[in-house]
Parts: sequence; structure tokens; C-alpha cells
Amino acid sequence: MTNGSIMPINPKDTKHPELRTVLLFCLFVLLLMVAGCGEEKTPGTDRKADATADAAPAARRPREPLPEGIVWQTNDTDPVFASPEAVRGGTLHEALLSFPLTFRTVGPDSNSSFRSAILDNQLSLVGIHPNTEKIIPELATHWAFDPDGRTMYFKLDRRARWSDGHPVTADDFAYTLDFMRSEHIVAPWYNDYYSREIERVIIYDDHTLAVVAARPVPDLHLRIAFAPTPEHFYGRLNDDFVLAYNWEIVPNTGPYQISDFEKGRRVRFKRKENWWAEDRRYFRHRFNADTVVFTVVRDFNLTWEYFKKRRLDTFALNLPEYWHVKSRTEVVEKGYVERIWFFNDTQQSAQGLWLNLDREIFADRRVRYAFAHAMNVEKVIDQVLRGDYYRLEHGFMGYGAYSNPEIRARRFDLGKVEALMTEAGWRRGADGIWTRDDRRFAVEVTYSLEEHTPRLVVLKEEARKAGVELQLRRLDATAAYKKVLEKKHDVAWMGWSTSLRPQYWEHFHSVNAHKPQTNNITNTDDPEMDRIIDAYRNSLDATKRAALSRQIQAKIHEIGAFVPTFMVPYVRQAYWRWWRLPEPAGTRHTGDLFDPFGSATGGLFWYDPARHAETEAAMKAGRGFEPVTRIDETYKMPSLR
Amino acid sequence: MTAYFIRRLLLIVPTFLGITVMVFVITRMVPGGPIERIIVQARQMQSSLGGLASGPAEQRQPLSEDQIERLKAYYGFDKPVLVSYGQWLAKVMRGDLGTSTRYYDPVWRMIVERIPISLYFGILTLLMVYGVCIPLGIAKALRHKSGFDNVTSVVVFVGYAVPGWVIGVLLLVLLASVWEIFPLGGLTGDDFPDMALGEQVVDILWHTVLPLAAYVAGSFAVMTMLMKNTLMDNLAADYVRTAVAKGLPFRRAVFRHALRNSLIPIATSFGNNVSVVVSGSFLIEKVFNINGMGLLGYESVVERDYPVVLGILVVSSLLFLVGNILSDLCVAAVDPRVRFE
Amino acid sequence: MPRFQFNPPTLRKIRRFQSIRRGWWSLVVFGCMVVASLFAELWVNDRALVVRYQGEFYFPGYSDPLPGATFGLDYAYETDYRDLARRFAAAGDGNWVLMPLVPYGPYTTDLRDDAFPPFPPDWRQRHFFGTDTVGRDVLARLVYGFRIAILFSLGLLAVNYAIGVSLGCAMGYFGGRFDLFFQRLIEVWSNVPFLYVIIIISSIVVPSFWILVLIMAIFGWIGITWTMRTVTYKERERDYVLAARVLGASHGRIILRHILPNTVAVIVTYAPFSVSSGIVALTSLDYLGFGLPPPTPSWGELLAQGWTYMSAWWIVASVVGAMVVTLVAVTFIGEAVREALDPKRYTIYE
Repeated sequence: MTNGSIMPINPKDTKHPELRTVLLFCLFVLLLMVAGCGEEKTPGTDRKADATADAAPAARRPREPLPEGIVWQTNDTDPVFASPEAVRGGTLHEALLSFPLTFRTVGPDSNSSFRSAILDNQLSLVGIHPNTEKIIPELATHWAFDPDGRTMYFKLDRRARWSDGHPVTADDFAYTLDFMRSEHIVAPWYNDYYSREIERVIIYDDHTLAVVAARPVPDLHLRIAFAPTPEHFYGRLNDDFVLAYNWEIVPNTGPYQISDFEKGRRVRFKRKENWWAEDRRYFRHRFNADTVVFTVVRDFNLTWEYFKKRRLDTFALNLPEYWHVKSRTEVVEKGYVERIWFFNDTQQSAQGLWLNLDREIFADRRVRYAFAHAMNVEKVIDQVLRGDYYRLEHGFMGYGAYSNPEIRARRFDLGKVEALMTEAGWRRGADGIWTRDDRRFAVEVTYSLEEHTPRLVVLKEEARKAGVELQLRRLDATAAYKKVLEKKHDVAWMGWSTSLRPQYWEHFHSVNAHKPQTNNITNTDDPEMDRIIDAYRNSLDATKRAALSRQIQAKIHEIGAFVPTFMVPYVRQAYWRWWRLPEPAGTRHTGDLFDPFGSATGGLFWYDPARHAETEAAMKAGRGFEPVTRIDETYKMPSLR
Repeated sequence: MTAYFIRRLLLIVPTFLGITVMVFVITRMVPGGPIERIIVQARQMQSSLGGLASGPAEQRQPLSEDQIERLKAYYGFDKPVLVSYGQWLAKVMRGDLGTSTRYYDPVWRMIVERIPISLYFGILTLLMVYGVCIPLGIAKALRHKSGFDNVTSVVVFVGYAVPGWVIGVLLLVLLASVWEIFPLGGLTGDDFPDMALGEQVVDILWHTVLPLAAYVAGSFAVMTMLMKNTLMDNLAADYVRTAVAKGLPFRRAVFRHALRNSLIPIATSFGNNVSVVVSGSFLIEKVFNINGMGLLGYESVVERDYPVVLGILVVSSLLFLVGNILSDLCVAAVDPRVRFE
Repeated sequence: MPRFQFNPPTLRKIRRFQSIRRGWWSLVVFGCMVVASLFAELWVNDRALVVRYQGEFYFPGYSDPLPGATFGLDYAYETDYRDLARRFAAAGDGNWVLMPLVPYGPYTTDLRDDAFPPFPPDWRQRHFFGTDTVGRDVLARLVYGFRIAILFSLGLLAVNYAIGVSLGCAMGYFGGRFDLFFQRLIEVWSNVPFLYVIIIISSIVVPSFWILVLIMAIFGWIGITWTMRTVTYKERERDYVLAARVLGASHGRIILRHILPNTVAVIVTYAPFSVSSGIVALTSLDYLGFGLPPPTPSWGELLAQGWTYMSAWWIVASVVGAMVVTLVAVTFIGEAVREALDPKRYTIYE
């Protein structure tokens, strides 16, 4: 009776007559609950009745005996990165550009930026230390690798609790597989990933389990340390999942939980009283704000106005315009708002121009090199981006040992363009553009972000000097993506998202070339490249993989189908001065100093009531403070120093 | 005459079917619907999580044919166009406009939530337009070719020539951004829920001024000139001349005789307002970031939220068609000479 | 050969139009604007009008680009004439450059090392209306954008008229089932959200100038068709048409020789309003980002920039100013044409 009884049923909610029987049963359960358990309640109460009914007596999964000779490991020796000075309290106000379309984290339209706020409060089995990149405990205190290279054992923290008070057990991890493999969640990608990549979860007892991957993979822990799913909450899924759980607040294991929300306007998170992990080594002195409120502000420019009026506590100043011009304003100059420029050393997105090698014009390597030398990225950085962005030297910077520090992107050089093109047999036409056999060096650049037009306009003007004509074609994001994946582009202006380790196979292996719907958008087709990529993929040895990775990057540079453009290896933020940051202000991988939830790098800041009072008084009296602009270069990329 | 209106009402049916069939068919042709969005998301997941470690020898579509079929069934794309049109229509007949494929809210509720906002601006605009245009038109007619007439004509024509949303952009930049007199858009301030009732009213009015000005600017000219021209026609008509010649004071001739007849064309256009009142200008709503019907329609088109697009179409085309008939009814009611056969 | 001459009623109408000063002056102003924009290369351009170099004259305005090497500079790409002018002036050895009034083209980005765009209006730099957020001259973008908008509206007008006049005439003249069918069709058609169709098309192909004209024409023909239908309908009932029919004239002859000439007034009156709605439509589409692809100079794109960078008030002010002048001029022309063709003399007792 345990599972069913904590879920109050709202009889009005059931519209399906065929469920009447189920409903009656549930009413009975409800009566029992009212009589027996008293006040116990979960957040998110109006859910579909049938889910409850199925969930009631969870069929216990079989327990297997624990194999002998497991060598348990843990990590309680890496340096902590939170500040011991941090104290609890305060409300952090953040802005959302649009209200999330759903609180689900799987299924249609769950991929919004808000999802991370929910997912960050779902701890995984283990995490990664943001500075040392070693494994650290999250829900599991101990772990062990099996020699087969695809199995990992975990011992759960016995105190781990869901936000509704239920203990986190090994069954919740087994349930993740059931859940993610269910077709009711309408999330084919997850269905696939959890069926093809994860073979099974083995339960030894309530707090000991193993996760088995489908095959041995490098960095096994990155792949299989997933988060549990509250079985007692979801029960058996049905076709109603997408609609029924659209606005449900699902029990979680992290420091915060949604306390209330107003659709279209705001979502409020509250820190849990006595969160089970608050004294754990890597969580101590973190997640200090009592409340975090996300308010919808539809326009980015308005966000800045709201921030200046103290309706928001922090503001990202990454855009040069804001850092240099807009923040020359009273609240900053009087020191009420402080600014920080924090350099990180994290994976950089491969942003740049991707040439389609299946286009006849790019078949000649000299023409590709000439194209790269015709791109005046430096001028864009200096005169459009105010010198704030850095030149991306190749597509995989910031991956530590996996990055090749020797590669330098081809710089704007009219002389080299001249030499390469002449050598390739091209001549300047009457309009100054290179021509050969009636073919002009005019290529279409497909892009989608309106904000990038200024950059491309400058590139275009500069390329004209080099005798290359760029025809800019802006399409909306879906259309641009489609065109590029169908390999119908000449040149695509885009960036790829990053992962902890570089991925080459989908972008550069010949099996993915010359066919639509693959990520090899350059149609790179090179036997030598295939050989090293295969070696990289098949190796389980980190050192060897890093060496191969560097070799692949050199090869990519040599082929010259990718012209890298910019990277932003830092964050810049403004915050009201009563918010405090540790020293150093973040970690190597920090992407947002005021990320309230992230289990790896979030929640390091805290609220200082004394400074708040002091600032309020000063503002009332019109007194100012010394303006503060902190520049933290602790983790600045070595190549930029 | 009743027969005429019954026939008109019956004609709504084929027209309505025609409109909805067309848009429904177009809907099927548009790339970028919910399924493509899911495929794109799946692909992004694939590339960010590094894809499949050592999967099959070639990269696959992120979703299998089978999975895509299931998605199609989920969103109702699995049947031939006309079959799903029939199903959709049957649901509409039962008053069910379906569920948004983006917000997973019932379309009807989304529309109902937005109607008061568009209605608010629509009615205010109507009041402003009729309240100002009729007197202004009369004044202009009475002082035809005077300095007053010329000056007001220029002002009215500027408002007429330049689209309302462009005027809106200008007002927003000058009055809201540069001089900071009015708010930067939206219908309420951010802390609206925490205000007292009096403050709330002031807040809404304060947010209303600029968009209302943009709304009114465009409709102004047509109505004023219509009023002016018809009144002048009537003033030149024989019956007014006769009345004046018989010794009726000019003012009385104007207000007793000419004005009443001049209101006929104004009344005619009244019926059309039924749909204008709720559809709203999406451009003005976009410029001022007002969550009315116009913006809902625009966003649903841009985001390919088909059920919402169709839902709005149902509401607005019905209103439009009924509005046309209403305006004929108005004419018949005002002008006893009119006979519809 | 007899000289072509307007017949007396037409001449009277033209004279009447000229007598409506507001409309006449609007036509003059608007005509000047169109001509000025058609020859924009002569006064808004980043190429020099005349270069005098080592005793020779060069006219780069309408020729192929001249590489910098032509004028003894050390680069092979197109000469930067503003820079050349400065160098010649500094050297002072008899060479000179005559730049156009606005020495920037619509695509020229004028970037500086010490400051970042948008730059406010600056007469010394000859950015009379300032620059946009990329550093391009606002006036240059306005002028070239105007040229595109005008050609766009005229193209649209031509297509709309071709469809509208023929279909409208046919509907009005033949009436009956034919008329009823197209009436329904138009009713259906005018209810299809046209933005929807534009988005569909622009997601399949990048709209080029002519594609956009055609897309707009898909929905633009309705107005003129409707008007033509009504007018033809009225004309058909007139005695002279009956007379012609009795005399055995064919339908084609009646429409072409009798009805059409009598509807010219309507067609002409309609034209200015079509032009202004064409300009507005293109501007709106560009504003929303569904118009011509960047970096085509366009008013709508400038408005969108101005909306985003509200502090750069000169962008919005210039565009709205230009729109007011253009659209008001066109509207006044239209009103005057209407009045000239259909005069109403008011006699009022008072």
C-alpha cells in the first residue's frame, strides 16, 4: 500500500468513463490514505488516476548476488571550490526570454533553455570535478569499474532522498531504463539511446547496483552515470504522458525544487530544508540562495532595463555592446553594480565556415586555402566585436590534452590568396573576382542568426578585396539546418555544440560523406582521416586517444574544409554588489557564475545582507562606491596568456 | 429580404469550407512542423552527446522510419489530407479546436485568453475613431477649403499614408526609449499583480497610450474623409438646397437633414468592425509586444503551430463572413431605400 | 504624320490635375525622388565620379572596378576612393578625386578603430543621416532601398493589373455563374493568411526580387479585380454597350474598345494607392525578416535595426521621415488624380 497511498486523487480530473473502475479503486485508496497516513502530500497532485493504480504495488525487481572482488573507489581528496565564507539566504531573480513550453524534460518541446534548470536539480550517480575532471560522488558514494570495460558498480548514498521524502533506491535507476525506453514519452532519441547504449541495470540490493553499457567505451562513466527516475511518482506510463505531465513538478534529488509558478510569467524555486546532500564534501557551502525566481522578460534589451531597476540580480555582459557601452551607466559607475570578466578553459564550439567539398569549386585544396586566407576574421573581431572575441584556431579548442595547441587558423592574407589562386589557374575578372573557365569565385554562405549579419557583411566586403564573392543567404533556423544536412550548401556558417570529449566520426568520417542527413557537412572523404578516426574510436586508452585526437585536428587543418572563426573563452557578468563570489570566482568549466543549480559548477555565490543594507542606504543618500570591475584570469586558456 | 439574408448565411458554408480546406492543405506542405522539430532536436542531442559510441557502420537518421511513423500518428499526420481534414472539421463542429502542438494547451482556451486584449484595443480604437472622426469630418465639411480644413487634411493624410506599426516604432523609440515618458511595450508593468486596483488601472492606461495611437492613426483618415465627403455630397443635394431655400436655418438643415443621410456610409462600414475588433494588427502587437490575437496568430504561423493557425482562421473567417452580412443589415436598417433581393 | 496629341477632355483633366497644387507638387517631388534614386550611383556611391591621375581622367562610377594599382596604390582589389582622395590631397601633386555627395555605397561599411557603429549623423564624415549598426550609411541604404521598393511596387502593379483588369472585366461583363464562382474564390482567397504562404515559400526558396513580386501578386490582384468588376458591371448596363451589342460587335471588341477606355479613370486612380501599398508591403515583410535577403538595402530592415537599437534614434527617424515624405506624396497624387478625374463641385447655400 505504500506507493499508492501517498498520491491523493482528484476525482474530477478523470474524463475517461472507461476508467471508472480504476477511479473507484483509487477513491478507496484515497479513503485509506485519509484514514491512515494523515497529511502526507506530494507537490503536483492532479495527475492521471490510472498511472497511480498501476504503480501501487511495485513489482520488486529481482536482486542478484554481488560479484566478488569489487574494488570500490571514491573521491574525498580533490580540492573543494566553494567558499567557506558563504552563508545562506536571499532571493536570486533571473530572467527567462520565454516561458518554457513544458516542465517535462523528455518528449516534444522539452528541449528549451529552461530544461537545464530542472535537470540540474536531478543529480546523477556520479559527477565530474570541474577543475580536475576526476569522478566525484553525487548520488553514489562509491563506484567501481569491471574489467570488462562496460560495467560500472555503484553504492548509493543511503541518505539520498527524493524531494517528496522517498528514499532513492536502485530500483529508481532500473526504472530510468523502463521510462526512457517507453514509447509513451514521445522521445525517440531517448528511446534509442537507452536501448542501444545501455544494456541493463543490475540490482544487488536497495543501495547497490551496476549499470552495463552495450559495449566497452572510453570514458565509460560519462556515458552511464545517469539520473534516477522516481518510479513511485510515474508508475506505469500510458498514452496521456505528454499532456498529463506537461506541468507536473516531478520529485527530484537536487538542492532546489519548484515551489510555485504562474504560467507565462514566473517560476519560483525554493531550496530544500535539510537537503540530504548539503554537507557532502563537494556540495558544502554551495546552493546558498533561499529562493530563485525566474521571471519572463520577452526582450533581451528589456532584460537590461529590468536589471538596472533592480528587478533582476545579474546580467550577462558577454556581448561587447553591453560590456563597453551600455554598462557605462549610473548604477555601474556608482559601484552599486559590480562587473566581472571571468576567463574559463572549457570546450569551445566549432564555429566557423564549413565548405562543402562536393562543390566543384572546393575540390581544389588551393582554392580552399585561398578561401580561408580571404576571410578577414581578425577585422571582424577588431571592428565589429570590439576585440572581445578570440580567434578560434581550430574546431576543438579547450579539450585539454585532446586539443592540439600547435594549429593556427589561416589568417587573412591577400598575398597568399593571390599566389594560391594563380597557381590553381584562376585569373581576376573584370569585376575583380577570380574566374576560371567562366566560373566566378562566388559562393553562397548559408546562415540563420540575424545577429550575425553585421559580421558576415564585413567578411563579405573584405573577401571582395581578395577577389572572392560571398552571397549571404539567411534562412530561418530549421530551413538552414535542413539545407545544410541535405548538403545543398556551398558554405555553411554555423557552430556545433560541444561534448566533454571531441567527436570526429560523425563530422569527418567518409561513411557519412556524400549523403543527406549526416553531420559530415563538409563531405570530408579521406582514407587517412578514416584510419585515424577509427583508431580514435576503437581505443580505450586515454593517452593514446588524446594523441590521436591531436593528429585528427592536424589533418582537419590540412584538408582545410573548415575555416574556424570565433571563440568566447570567458563569461562576463554584472551583479548587484550584495551578491558575493568566491575566490577564484568560478571553476575551469564555469559557464555562468550565477548558475544557481548546476551540480558541477553552480551555486557558488551567496547573498550578503549587510552589504545589501549598506548599498540601499548609500543609494538613498545618493552616495556611491568605488566602481568594481573584476578580471579573473585564474583559468585563462594557456594559449591566450 | 429575409430570403436574401438566409441565402447569404447559407453561402457562408461553402466559403468557410473553401478557406479551411485551402489552409489545411497548405499546412501539410509547410516544412518545419512539430515532427521536423523533434528530428532536429534529436539530431542536436545526437551530436552533443557524441552520438553512438561504436554504432553501425554508418550514421543513421536520428530517428527510424518506424519512430517517425509513430510521431506522425501522434500528431495526426499519418492519414491522407482530406481524411484528417474531415476529422478536424468534425471536431470543430463539436466545438473542439484541438490542442496546440507547441504549448499543449487547448487552442480554444488560448484564443479566449487573447480575445479580451484585442477586444480592448479594438473597442477603444472604435470609440476614438468614431468619437473624433465624425465631428472632425463635419467640421471639415462645413469649412471646406479653409485653413483648418487644409491643415487637418495634411495631418490626417500623414496618418493614413504611413502604416500604423511604423508610427508605432517611431513613437516607441522617441517617447519610450529616448525621452522615457511611456513604457517600452507590453500591456502591464512587471509588478502588475502586486498593485492596488487604482494603480492597476493607471498602469494599463499608461501602457495603452502608444499602441492605441498607432492603431488609431491608420483608421482615422478613411473615416474622417468619408464623413466629410458624404456630408458635402448631401449638402450639395437638392433636398438640402430646397430646405435652405425655404428658409430653414443652415445649421438646422445640416444637423436635421444632411447629417442623418451622411451617416449611412459610416453605418455601412460598422459591420466590418466585428472582425477587426478581435483580429488586431499583428504588426502593432509585435512592435509593442502585446499578447493579443494578432501576435498569437503571427507566432503560431512562424512556429508552425498548425492547430492554432487553423483555430484562429476559424474564428476570424467566421467573424469576417458574419461581419459582411451584418454590415448589409446595418445598411438596410439605416437606409429604408435599400432593398436586397 | 499627325503629332500625337491628347484629346481635349484628357487635356482638361491634366490641367485640372495641375491646378490641384498639393497633388501637382507631390508629383514633382515624387518624380524627382524616383529619378534621383535611379541615378543614385552619381550621388550616393563609394566610387568616385571623376579621378584625375597623372594627367588622365578616370570615371569609375559605371565602369568595372579599378584595382588600387591603377592609381599607384599597393593593392589589387578595388580602389578605396575616399582614402585615395585623402592621399591625393595630402600629396598635392595635381591629382584629384571628385567624390559623390554621399561617398558611401549601400554596402560600404565605414568602420573605425576607435569607435563602434552605429554612428550618429555627422556632416563632416558626410554621414548625413548617420550609420546603421554595421557602419553602413543610412542615407545610402535609404536611397538604394527606395529604388528597390519603387521598382518592386511598379512590378507588382504591372502583374496585379494584368490579372486584375482582365479577370475583373470578364467577371463584370459576363456575370452569371462565372462571376459567382470567382466571387467565392476571391472571398476564400482573401481569407487565407497571406503571411503564412509567404513563410512557406521563403522557407523553400530564398525570395528573390521577382519571386517576391509574384508571391505578393498572388494576393494583390484581389483589390483591383473587385473594383474592375464593379465598374464593368455598371458600364455593361449603359446604353452605348447595348447599342454596340445590337450592332453585332463581338464581346472582345466591346470590352476592348468600349468598356476598357471608360474604366481608365478607375485604373489610373487606383495606381498611386497600389504603389504606396506595395512599398508598405515590402517594408513590412523586410521588417519581419521575410522579405529580400540581407544585405539588400531595405527600409524594413532599417526599421528592424532601429527597433532593436532604440538608442540609435536617427535610424528610425530617418526611415520614418522618408516613409512619410514618400507615402504622403503618393497619397496626395492619388487624391489629386481622383479629384481631377471625377470632379465634384459643391454648391452650398448658406
